[in-house]
Amino acid sequence: RHPYDTATGTVLLGALLTVLLLALLHFVIL
Amino acid sequence: MDAAIFDLLLRWLHFLAGMIWVGHNYSSVVQRPTYRPLCAEDLSNDDSPRFQALLHREHGVFRWASVVTWSAGLLMLWQRGTLGGALSLSGALAPIGIGMYIGTLMMLNAWFVLWPHQQKVLGLVPATISERLRCSRISHLSSRTNTMLSLPLLFFMAAGAHGGAYLFK
Repeated sequence: RHPYDTATGTVLLGALLTVLLLALLHFVIL
Repeated sequence: MDAAIFDLLLRWLHFLAGMIWVGHNYSSVVQRPTYRPLCAEDLSNDDSPRFQALLHREHGVFRWASVVTWSAGLLMLWQRGTLGGALSLSGALAPIGIGMYIGTLMMLNAWFVLWPHQQKVLGLVPATISERLRCSRISHLSSRTNTMLSLPLLFFMAAGAHGGAYLFK
């Protein structure tokens, strides 16, 4: 199943994206 | 009007409209956490319970709330003179800038991906049953994309004004 097909999968993807963007901000942008 | 009061009113409006917008999205996740595809019978009969439920959820409130949220946020940054810094992700304005880009993406997704497909699902735009079923899957994925994006959105929006900006200096 697609991760979006469950609430848990959706939230986990959102949390993962948050961490990735935080790393991008910390190590690349700033 | 005093700039500080205007800023506070804009922030209030931004929060209220944002909660209405994302609240509608979260409500759909809580009520239907697991995807259950529509079938042809649901769409071929206008009186079917699932079609009626879909139709009654279509009121446009969250779509317009997204425009109010986005406009108030942009106006807030502009009147503070921080819009340029946020757009260019400069220093302490980088977190709110990332939040702004994510929010813009979410609004565009709601209006230009979710809505056109949902119009077909609901029969507001003529389409065959198979096309409407295909569109219902895209509507679901589009809606959940916004659910997913709301997590980093809220993190970076909050980080911009509540201590996070200090961390990123």
